[in-house]
Amino acid sequence: MKCEDLVAYLSEYIDNDLNEALTAEAQLHLATCHNCRVVLDTTQKMILIYRRQQRQAIPAARRQRLFTQLQSAFLNKSEPTP
Amino acid sequence: MSVTASSSARQSVGNMAEADLLTALKQRSPQAFSALFDTWSDKLFRLATGILEDDAEAEGVVQETFLKFFEKLEQFEPRAKVSTWLYRVAYNASIDKIRKRRPAQMWLGNDDGDGAEFFPGNLADWRYAPEAWLSSLEAQRELTRAISALPEKQRLVFRLRELDGFSTAETAEILGISVGSVKVRLHRARLLLRETLADYFSERMKREQLL
Ligand SMILES: [Zn+2]
Repeated sequence: MKCEDLVAYLSEYIDNDLNEALTAEAQLHLATCHNCRVVLDTTQKMILIYRRQQRQAIPAARRQRLFTQLQSAFLNKSEPTP
Repeated sequence: MSVTASSSARQSVGNMAEADLLTALKQRSPQAFSALFDTWSDKLFRLATGILEDDAEAEGVVQETFLKFFEKLEQFEPRAKVSTWLYRVAYNASIDKIRKRRPAQMWLGNDDGDGAEFFPGNLADWRYAPEAWLSSLEAQRELTRAISALPEKQRLVFRLRELDGFSTAETAEILGISVGSVKVRLHRARLLLRETLADYFSERMKREQLL
């Protein structure tokens, strides 16, 4: 496997989506190629940084209003006629 | 550690809880409603704002999605996946609103044949950058900026896979595209975002050495 192939398979490698033969080839390449190792590891770091970000929530006033509206819609919904 | 393993674990735990929740919802339990709202409202809102970039419209999408869900509730089978269903409905409602705004624009199709394959250019080794750099607000901002600069179709796939923890197949189902398209878009997004951070961290390494 060459660097071009490794990069092409990178995303599937991260997701454990490659078959056994390709996974073995990728691992072999990664063991000896510094650049590809860096690309793989920094891609995974990027994903971790992304997951750590502050998650945005519904602003409180909107959230409260939505809750009240939906709750009454939910509780007042009549049972389906048999 | 594999990045995927943790997200699929999260999903399967969600599945088990979902069946119980569904039963309680069908009995119109107020607690079940609160649990449903707490679990999904922020997530659906984030998905909608990610597409619409408008809080009021996103609120409308969340409302519409839950109301549709209440209507469908009786027909939901115990094994049905509530999360995927809610996301798909919220996604479609968001896209409908976008289409009304920009009727001429072609929205997310299955076409991924655009542009040559991207190859990593910046090979700076920032794997051992200090933890403080990785968790810095500055790094977060760089990444956020790069994500908003991504083509819309890549951005959504990246979000659903990496933040919301959906599998490739679930993401395909929510967006109504093929599994192959999900993979291609995710691959491109990951490489582009990695490049942005590589540029940022290599600059920062240079800067700090000068001090
Ligand atoms: Zn290589």
